[in-house]
Amino acid sequence: MNWLKRLGGGSLTLYTILFFAFIYAPIAVIVVYSFNSDPVNMMKWSGFTFDWYKQIFGFTNASSEAALYIESTDQLLAAIKNSFIVAAFTTTIATLIGTSTALAIYRYNFFGKRFYRVLMFTPMLMPDIVLGIALLIFFVGIGMPLGIGSIIIGHCTFLISYVFIVVSTRLAGMDRTLENASADLGANEWATFRKVVLPQVMPGVIGGALLAFIISMDDLVITYFISGVGTQTLPLFIFGMLRRGIKPEVNAIAVMMLLFSFTIAAVGLYLRSRKK
Amino acid sequence: MHDKIISLDNATKRFSLPEGGKINALDAIDLEVSRNEFLTLLGPSGCGKTTLLHVISGFVQLDEGQILIDGVDMGETPPHNRPVNTVFQNYALFPHMSVGENVGYALEIAHTPKPERIKRVGEALELVGLGGYADRMPRQLSGGQQQRVALARAIIARPKLLLLDEPLSALDRNLRQSMQIELKNLQAELGISFIFVTHDQEEALTMSNRVAVLNGGVIQQIDTPLNTYNYPANSFVASFVGASNLFEGKASRDGERIHIATEHNEVIEARARKDQHINGGKVTAMLRPEQFSLADGDENRAEIDVTIDQIVFLGSAYELLGKTTGGSEIKAIISAARQSRLAEVERTKTARLSYDPNAVHLIPGTGDVQ
Ligand SMILES: Nc1ncnc2c1ncn2[C@@H]1O[C@H](COP(=O)(O)OP(=O)(O)OP(=O)(O)O)[C@@H](O)[C@H]1O
Ligand SMILES: [Mg+2]
Repeated sequence: MNWLKRLGGGSLTLYTILFFAFIYAPIAVIVVYSFNSDPVNMMKWSGFTFDWYKQIFGFTNASSEAALYIESTDQLLAAIKNSFIVAAFTTTIATLIGTSTALAIYRYNFFGKRFYRVLMFTPMLMPDIVLGIALLIFFVGIGMPLGIGSIIIGHCTFLISYVFIVVSTRLAGMDRTLENASADLGANEWATFRKVVLPQVMPGVIGGALLAFIISMDDLVITYFISGVGTQTLPLFIFGMLRRGIKPEVNAIAVMMLLFSFTIAAVGLYLRSRKK
Repeated sequence: MHDKIISLDNATKRFSLPEGGKINALDAIDLEVSRNEFLTLLGPSGCGKTTLLHVISGFVQLDEGQILIDGVDMGETPPHNRPVNTVFQNYALFPHMSVGENVGYALEIAHTPKPERIKRVGEALELVGLGGYADRMPRQLSGGQQQRVALARAIIARPKLLLLDEPLSALDRNLRQSMQIELKNLQAELGISFIFVTHDQEEALTMSNRVAVLNGGVIQQIDTPLNTYNYPANSFVASFVGASNLFEGKASRDGERIHIATEHNEVIEARARKDQHINGGKVTAMLRPEQFSLADGDENRAEIDVTIDQIVFLGSAYELLGKTTGGSEIKAIISAARQSRLAEVERTKTARLSYDPNAVHLIPGTGDVQ
């Protein structure tokens, strides 16, 4: 029976390797080809270069062959800046509203509470296209100019749900007698909230905020509808580049976005492990 | 200063049930606890013990009745302003705080300066035998240690009244017994009143000044442990506190002698006590298992014939389980010293048991639990 066991173990290992290869191979390809010097055919390896990274940051000299292919660096930087502004505002607003809504629903009983909870879930389940069109019609309808403001509001509509759900899950696992214990030891409601409830939901709040930040940075479909003509975010910018043919800088940008996401996730994990 | 630390008057609490209808978790409770008293609430699961504690600490509002703590009406006082602290049934330690922070919580809330806080936390932990544990997190402690942290946290602010909701239930027998003694000492040392909840009757009898037996939200009896055991007020108390043999029947009186004739045609003999007025009608006679012995012809003892179903060795004694000729169940405890007689009982499966009629406790009325 030993060989059978070995076969079983071997095929499991093989399966695991294939599984991860399936998930990570495309990403690895992007990372590798972001250093490929061939400006025309991305899939043909013709030498190692940092050119694409240089170009993104505008360090390249204009006479290089690659310069023919770059978009305006200023445009790219503006798009990145917009994405950060949107993500920062959206994350703050969505975290505040999502968290306080979750706390209110946890704490108080009121008429229509269940219905309200369902309402909080729906934006997350709504198809992006539908939400995007609806928001566009809404903004145009009320005469609001499209731009950073409309993108922030648009992102908040569904990111509040994400934060709400993450924080609610955290609250659902909380022991209510802890609040009684705190009151029993002399703490009024505010002190109990600050010292007992808040520290315990904090990991949920941070998790929700990070999730909101990443989704906001990453959103394409909804942003596409409500960004107007003048404003670009990073995903919109990349999408625009792709429409005019796949350029090698896209790889470099993708690699940097990847690094950025990893960093955020790592920070999140670090904060969580420190909480415990 | 008021000599009653707490008094409840007609305290009533009803919960609506999700399946409809209401349950009387507390039904017209009158209860007073004196300063420095150790009162135990004893009763089966779901009888309202925790609810009663929550009424006192303020987490549950009364539907009817009144609650005074130290002579002050607490009707409008929120929990954080009441001079009571609680050891919760599930400990309720704050998971995100260390043991020291948990214990010092009440002082922190009261803005006690940090040096004093640290000193008193150390003392409180020392008191419950957990000195040196201040920096641990609650989840790094065993169940029994967590319970002791909960205890330290509840006594640190020197409340007028300490409520303990089954604080020893998670401990093994040895630790439990030593904690019982420690709790008693602690109570004497601190000079505060304790209301201690348990459903362990032995614990109730060993620790308290008085025991309040609760069932179905109604207080069945409040009395000293001795009286609760020897003179239960009704058959619920008789069977809940200790084991008992109950004989329900019609009493007839002949001078000092009382005979109780059961529907199984046994006759139990008893003597009238001065403080009891039993002349006839329905009564329940109670005999504790240890009041029986194997009959040896003593004139002053009444006798009863029993067929034995089972003999259980308990260590220092044997427990005989059987039935009277009429069919009533009998439980008797016989000292293991009487080996030879017991061997005979074992062989013949019958025994003649005797009891002292003076020791028979009579409960007026039928065996219906109120
Ligand atoms: N919030 C509530 N809503 C409805 N019913 C309740 C509520 N709290 C308690 N009850 C009911 O009230 C009764 C008394 O409950 P309580 O918790 O006081 O029992 P207990 O004596 O402490 O029991 P245990 O020994 O199991 O802890 C029970 O029948 C319980 O089901
Ligand atoms: Mg209880």
